[in-house]
Amino acid sequence: MTERQGNSAEDARLMQAACEGCAESRLLLSRRAVLGVTAGLFSWACMPRFAHGAGSTDPRLLIVVLRGGMDGLNVCVPFGDTNYAPMRGSIAIPAASTIKLNSFFGLHPTLINFGNLYKAGDAAVVHAASIPLRSRSHFDAQDNLENGMGNVIAPTATGWLNRLLMALPAGDPVRMAGGIQIGEAPLIMRGPAPVLGWSATKYLSVLDPTLSQVRAVQARDAEMYDALQRGLAANQLAAPLEQDDGEISTLRKSFRGAGRLFAADGGPRIAVISANQFDTHANQGGTRGVLADLLSDLDKGIGDFKLNVGSAWSRTAIVLATEFGRNVRINGGKGTDHGVGTVALLAGGAVQGGKVICDWPGLAPSQLFEGDDLKPTIDLRAVFKGVLRDHLGVSATTLGTSVFPGSTGVSPLANLIKTSAPDAASSAPSIVSVRPSSAIGNYRRTSSTAN
Amino acid sequence: MHASIGKPEVALSASAAQKALIAFQRFGLGAKPGGPDRIGADPKGALGAEVQRTGIAKISDSTLPSYAKACEVSTYDGPTINEMLIQEIDARVDKQMSPEIGFVERLVLFWSNHFAMNNEKGSAVRGTLAQWERDVVRRHVLGRFSDMLLGTYAHPAMIAYLDNEESTGLHSARGLKKGIGNNHNLARELLELHTLGSAGGYTETDVDVLANILTGWSYVRGAESDNGTNGGTPTNRGQFIFRLDWHEPGSFNLMGKTYAAGGMEQLQKVLLDLAAHPSTAEHIAFKLVRHFITDQPTPELVDPIKQKYLKTNGDLKAVSLALLDLPGVWTAPLVKLRTPYEHIIAQYRALGRRYADGSTAQLVGPLAAVSNRLWEPDSPEGYSDETYTWLNPDAMRVRIDITRYVTNQILPRTTLNVPALASSIFSSALSPETRNALNSTSNSNNALVVLFNSPEFQRR
Repeated sequence: MTERQGNSAEDARLMQAACEGCAESRLLLSRRAVLGVTAGLFSWACMPRFAHGAGSTDPRLLIVVLRGGMDGLNVCVPFGDTNYAPMRGSIAIPAASTIKLNSFFGLHPTLINFGNLYKAGDAAVVHAASIPLRSRSHFDAQDNLENGMGNVIAPTATGWLNRLLMALPAGDPVRMAGGIQIGEAPLIMRGPAPVLGWSATKYLSVLDPTLSQVRAVQARDAEMYDALQRGLAANQLAAPLEQDDGEISTLRKSFRGAGRLFAADGGPRIAVISANQFDTHANQGGTRGVLADLLSDLDKGIGDFKLNVGSAWSRTAIVLATEFGRNVRINGGKGTDHGVGTVALLAGGAVQGGKVICDWPGLAPSQLFEGDDLKPTIDLRAVFKGVLRDHLGVSATTLGTSVFPGSTGVSPLANLIKTSAPDAASSAPSIVSVRPSSAIGNYRRTSSTAN
Repeated sequence: MHASIGKPEVALSASAAQKALIAFQRFGLGAKPGGPDRIGADPKGALGAEVQRTGIAKISDSTLPSYAKACEVSTYDGPTINEMLIQEIDARVDKQMSPEIGFVERLVLFWSNHFAMNNEKGSAVRGTLAQWERDVVRRHVLGRFSDMLLGTYAHPAMIAYLDNEESTGLHSARGLKKGIGNNHNLARELLELHTLGSAGGYTETDVDVLANILTGWSYVRGAESDNGTNGGTPTNRGQFIFRLDWHEPGSFNLMGKTYAAGGMEQLQKVLLDLAAHPSTAEHIAFKLVRHFITDQPTPELVDPIKQKYLKTNGDLKAVSLALLDLPGVWTAPLVKLRTPYEHIIAQYRALGRRYADGSTAQLVGPLAAVSNRLWEPDSPEGYSDETYTWLNPDAMRVRIDITRYVTNQILPRTTLNVPALASSIFSSALSPETRNALNSTSNSNNALVVLFNSPEFQRR
C-alpha cells in the first residue's frame, strides 16, 4: 500500500534527521532500550516537521481514570426516577440542588465548570455504562477498564492506549507525538510503544543551588545527566514557574500540566491522568461531604485544563471513566458499596455536548442488576470506540481487534464528537498482541540465530 | 593530586575500592559507613561468606504472624491486615539494613519479584504475601528452586493472585454439577513467567492441560470456614486446600510426558519436572544476569549460570555464587540503576537509620510517586528489571525531590559531616566531582541530597 511506504519513508527521514543533529531525537533513537518505555518528554522536540501533514486536525485526547468506583448516581442524578430519592436516603441529592441538565437528570452541584461546558455544548454524560467485566474487585475492574479486554481477567494484558499507539500507522501524527502518563504509570499506557511521562507530586521541588550541585555531579554520567535535563525541561513546560501553588491539589496540578502540554506545538496528543479515592463506602455525603469535595476538585481540574490548553480546547476530547458504580441503596455507614452501572463524562471543544446519552434501565427493585445495582445498558468500550473512531479517525478493524480485542460486536457510540475525523488508518494494520514478546523470548530468538 | 579540604584519610587503593564498590552496588544494597575498609581486602570472599552465614536469610521475630495466623487474618478485610502489613514492612526494612553487603537480601528481592504478586488484588494476597516472602522465599532463597516453586503454588497468595481458587475441572464432581470449568491464568504464568519462559517449548494445548492439572488447587474462603462447606473448618481459615472433587479426573499428557490419574501429586510431579527443565534453567540464568549485570545478557554470561543450575539440580546457593565468577563482573562498568526501593534502602543503610516506628508512609509514599509501590508491581511480570524503566527523565527529576523528603524525615536539620560519610561509604571510589560538590555544600541536608543523587550512589 502506498500509505505504508509513505510511513516507512517518514521513519527513514526521522532517523536521518536524528543522526544529523536534533539532540533530543538522537537520544531517543540511538538506544533501542529507550524506545522501550519512557522515551522522555522531549523526544518529540523536532518531530513537528514530519508529524503534521496538511489538513491534519491535530486532535488531543485526555483520558481520566477515576479510581475507586465513582458513584454515578450522585454525579449525574436521575431525580426524575421516583425510586432515586427513597433508595438514597440521607445521601440523596435533592433535585433542586442539582445543576439541571434536562427534566430527568441534574449534575452534582459541585460540578460547576462541567455544567457550564454542558450548557455551552462542550460536555456530555453517558449514563448506565459499565466495563464488560462483571467484578466488584477494584483491582480486576480497573485492569479491565485499562486493558480493554472483554468479560475476562487477563493479568498480563497491555493497556489499550498503548495498543492504540502501536496500531496507528508509523507516521500518524498522534503516534509520533506520543502518549504521556501524568503521575503514576497506569496500566492503560503499559506496553511496547514508547510513552512519555511527567508527574506532579506532593513533594517540594529541590531548587538551586542544591539542584545545580546534583546536575554537576551527574554530568560525568551522560545517560543520567541527559535524563535529568529532559525531566527538568519537561517540568518547566508542564508546571508554571511561580511557586504559589502550594494550596492546589496534585490532581489539579496534573490537569494544569496536561493542558500546558497539549497546548505546546510539538507536545503529546494523548494523555492519561488518574484521580483517586472514589471508594465512598462510608459517610460519602450528599450535596456536601466527601464525594462533593472529590468532585469539586475534579471539576476545578477540568477548569484548570481548559484555561491552560487555550485554543487547542476546540481540538480536545476528555473522557472520564471509572471501574464501576455503586449500589443504588445507601448502606449502614451512610455510604455506598461496590456496584455496576455508572457514568462516563465527556468534555472538550471537540465533544458533541449538551446531552445525556443513555438507555435508562430504571431504579425500581425489579429493574436493578442482581437486585442492587444500576443495570448497565452501554458498554464502556462503545464510548471509547466512538471517541477514537470519530476524534482520532481510528478504523473499525483496528478498534475491534487491536485496541479492544474481540469487540467487533460492540458498535462505537455515534455522535460523541462534533466533526468526525477522516479515517486515518485505511491500510489494515496487523493485529497488535495483548501480550508482547518477552525478554527471554527475544534472547532465545537472537541467540539461536547467532548459533 | 591535591588534597581536598576535609578529605579524610583513605585506606584502600583505587582498585581495591573499585572492587568493594562492585560488591556493594552490583551485588549488595549499598555500603554502611566503613564498609569498604571492612571488606576491601577480599570483596568476593565477603560476598561468599555472607551467603554461607547460618540463618542469613531468616527474619527472626516471633511476633510476626505465622502461616495460620496470616491466612486467618487475610479472610477479614479490616484494619488488622494493615497493622500486620506495617509490622512486615518494618521487619523487612530492618532485615535489609542489617547485613554488611546485602547480597542475600538482593536475592530475596529478586525471587520475590520472580513470583511477583500484588497486594491490591485483594485481602487473600494482602494478608499473606509478606508471610509467603518470609516463609517460602527466604526459606529457600539459598536452597532448591523446586522447593520455592512447590511452596509458592501451595500458598493462598499465588492462588488468589492468579485466580485459581475457583478453577474447576469440567468433568469433576463439581464441574458436572455446576457446569463450570478451569481458569488459565495461573497455568499460563507457571509456564511463561515462573519456569520455562516464553519460547521455552510449550504450546497453547500445554497451557490448557496444565490448567486442568491445577484445578482444585484453592484456598479456604472465610465463608467456607464459617459454614463448614467445601472442606472449610474453624482451623484452616484462609489456608491452602486441595479440593479433589473440583479436580479434573484422569491422566494428562503435558509436553509429551504422561502424568497418571490422581490428585494433588499430579501437579507436584509436574512442578518438579518443570523445575528441572533446561528451559527453566536458562530462563532463571537469563533473569539473574539481567538483574545483577546487564540489560542485554549474552550467552557467555547466561550459559555458565544455566549449566550450574542444571549440574546442581537447581541449588540456588551454588547458582548465586556462580554469578561472582562470571567473566567481567569485577571490572565491567556499573550500568544499571538502583530501583527507587533499593535507592531508599541504600540511604537508610548509609545513614544507619530508617523512618520512625509507625511511619511506613515515609517509605511507601515516595515509592508510589515513582511508580515503584511496595508489594504492588504492575503485573505478574513483576517490577521491571530494565534500566530504562527507572532511568527516565521524569523519575530522575522526582527522585531528587523524594531523596530530600526521605532524608529530611529521618534527620531534620542534621549537622552530619557528609563529606566524611561519603568517603566512609565509597573510600577512594568516591569521584572527585562528588567530593568537590560535597565540600562546597555547607548545609548537611542539602549535601545528603547531592550525595544520594550522585552516579556512584545510584548506579549498580
